[in-house]
Amino acid sequence: MVKNKYFYYLFLINALINVVNFVPRGLIAQRFSGAMMAIVISVPIGLLLMYLCIKMMSKFPGEGIPEIFNANYPKPVTKFMLFGHTLLWYIAGLITLIAFVDVTMRYITSDVSPLLIMVGFLVVVCLAIRVTAESILYALEVVIIINVPIIIYVLFKALLNPMFSWDAVMQVITYSLKAPSYGSISYATFIFTGYLNLAVFNRAFKKIRVRHIWMIGVVGFLVLIASVLIPIGYQGTIGVERHVYPWFSTADVLRTKNFIVERVLFFFYFTYLTLSLVSSIVHWHVALEMLKGVFLTEEKKKRKIDPEWWMILAFCIVAFFAMRTNQFFRDRAGLLFLDIRLAAEFFLIASVYLAYKRREAKKRE
Amino acid sequence: MRGSQHKKESDNLLQCIGEKLSKSTDLEQRSLGTSDQQVNLIYLKSVSHSATVNRFVISPFFEMKDEKGFEEYIASFPGSKPSHDIKEILELLLGGHVGIFFSDNKVYLFDAVRVEAGSVADAQTEVIVQGPSDSFNESLEVNLNLIRRRYQSSDLKAETTTIGHKSKTKIAIVYDETRIEPEVLKELKKRLDGISVDILQAAAELDKYLSGNKYRLFPTTIVTERPDRAVFNISEGKIVLLVDTTGFAVVLPAVFNDFFTAMDDKLQVLPVGWFLKGIRYLGLILTVLLPSFYVAFTSYNPEVWKVQIALLVAGSRATVPYPSYVEVLIMLLMMEFLTEASLRLPKAIGPTATTVGGLILGTAATEAGLVSNIMIILVSAVAISNFVIPLNMMGFTIRVVKYPFILLATLFGLLGIVLGLVGVIMYLCSLRSFGKPYFKIFGIDRVRITNSQKERENG
Repeated sequence: MVKNKYFYYLFLINALINVVNFVPRGLIAQRFSGAMMAIVISVPIGLLLMYLCIKMMSKFPGEGIPEIFNANYPKPVTKFMLFGHTLLWYIAGLITLIAFVDVTMRYITSDVSPLLIMVGFLVVVCLAIRVTAESILYALEVVIIINVPIIIYVLFKALLNPMFSWDAVMQVITYSLKAPSYGSISYATFIFTGYLNLAVFNRAFKKIRVRHIWMIGVVGFLVLIASVLIPIGYQGTIGVERHVYPWFSTADVLRTKNFIVERVLFFFYFTYLTLSLVSSIVHWHVALEMLKGVFLTEEKKKRKIDPEWWMILAFCIVAFFAMRTNQFFRDRAGLLFLDIRLAAEFFLIASVYLAYKRREAKKRE
Repeated sequence: MRGSQHKKESDNLLQCIGEKLSKSTDLEQRSLGTSDQQVNLIYLKSVSHSATVNRFVISPFFEMKDEKGFEEYIASFPGSKPSHDIKEILELLLGGHVGIFFSDNKVYLFDAVRVEAGSVADAQTEVIVQGPSDSFNESLEVNLNLIRRRYQSSDLKAETTTIGHKSKTKIAIVYDETRIEPEVLKELKKRLDGISVDILQAAAELDKYLSGNKYRLFPTTIVTERPDRAVFNISEGKIVLLVDTTGFAVVLPAVFNDFFTAMDDKLQVLPVGWFLKGIRYLGLILTVLLPSFYVAFTSYNPEVWKVQIALLVAGSRATVPYPSYVEVLIMLLMMEFLTEASLRLPKAIGPTATTVGGLILGTAATEAGLVSNIMIILVSAVAISNFVIPLNMMGFTIRVVKYPFILLATLFGLLGIVLGLVGVIMYLCSLRSFGKPYFKIFGIDRVRITNSQKERENG
């Protein structure tokens, strides 16, 4: 059992990782048509969903979604829903990994083949997703504590730079009153999605209770503002749309004079690679547990090879196939995922609520 | 009639034991007294204290002249016990007791254990600047004494068991009843029962058997020779295992941070203590990552460095005829040889090895152009920072950990190092020491528990 503070880390990891998952790209594309408003609106929506989810999950202390569904829904429904969630979480992790293979190729080591990089990622991630939820939370804490100072350093470096164009930022802010599209709201709410990992990580919490939820709102809002506006401040209101990974291009602009390393990009890369890996581990751990909920409902006899390995193997094979897609497809798929995700969140919370009602009804009988 | 039957039984026992222990030159078997008042002694000279036997068993017998009185006299000694079980008698005899067979068929085992152990010496492996310098020695009683004297509380419990089919090593489980977590103790006892070995000779060996997983990389129990560390840990709610015949104790459950705590940290002023701890962690990071960073930056990502430094390294490496990872491996292995050699060498030859190895080899290798100058600096930094870690077990682990990082850096460059870091963090976090998490960045949980307990104890 872990303390409630680990919930904040689950939120933070998703909030920080948005830079890799196409969130700035999606929002920047709509910077003149409601992205700013979407950011403002996303805060109450995200917080409301988060609050509901915490409320629901606290009704099932120490239980994850697979257990809750299996106990309260008929089997086919459970299997269908769990499989759907598996797919979403799997894709969330996959997008992060594939995006990072791409980033690595572009910015760091173009000498290593992308396939080898993917193998490296998969080995670490696949070995790590099998450990207990508690262990992953501890690792999450360590990684975030190590990396947040570096991120703050990069942010200060970026904001204090005299070349930062506040005019460009101001110009984008003047478009604040445009009505946002569903798409831009769903991109922006991704920041708050970390709470949804409770679906499995709730197993590690005694009875989840989160204080100062407004603080999460403030932090989320600031993160969103920073991740959209800082690239605009450096690359201009128009030029910014030409970058696939606006944040990495922005970090590459910065220079530090005090270390033996001159380009801030490398600090940024180090930070985001560790964060992305851990975020993928979190997502895939959830996916794996969900998938286990689909196939291993009742205790089966001990097999020579743990069936988990077959699932992990499937994860890896799909990942290699996904590597073959091109940039446009990935970009489109990434944003489409963000769209579907928001609807799925509503659906998940509603289904937990229904499960709770059904359990209460059963108790009363 | 009855008496003679008894007599026979007792004689049988004696004969049986005599046979079991035959062909041992150190077996001593004596009959005392006259034919009607006969008392038989049997013991092993090597493990029993002959002077004790002479003074407290043999002389009084002849002074008393009365067997009944002598029997009561023997029975009143602390450590004497009556027994009729041949297995138990044999075990105690081998442990140093004297078997005394009375004519009325009573058998007493008299404690005359001879313990050959050095006196309490200064700590060798965990040296500190200030604070107590005594260390555990090879006798369990002395070690218990060292702990009891520092922890005078009735809550301190010491249970003993034996481990090893042949060595019968005594192990004392020492803990503070009010502060430990009962699950940990239960788990420990379960694991101790599960150990099935012939011989147990070292505390570190016990640590290996206890943890279960043979292929684990990091030590999950502390092996220490300092009584003050043991006592400090007992007060923190941990369990200490004292192993007879070894000068070390095992402390469990351990967390990663414990291995970076020296006992004199607490004596320092607070900021100084923080600084020292910070230095140790910095040393850890340097010794693990420097070689792999060198490989990654020279072979894959020279653009990471400032131009001046990149040129400096490239210039220094101009004559080196092989890739950077070969260079790093050669030098690191040389360093490992040097450490290993100076560890095992007799004290008189030690300095020669370091001079030849460190000075001559290092200078000559650079002059010959086989290794770059910067590499030499780096290797020395790695070696020195490795020794910053206060506990040896962890030091050895860290020595090994840097090689996988070099491999990763060779395959992936900078990316590999980050992969390795995440992997190591995940691995550390997945480790458990007797059910307790091993690696957490804030150890606050435990401190808070002890504080509330302290309040309770003080009323």
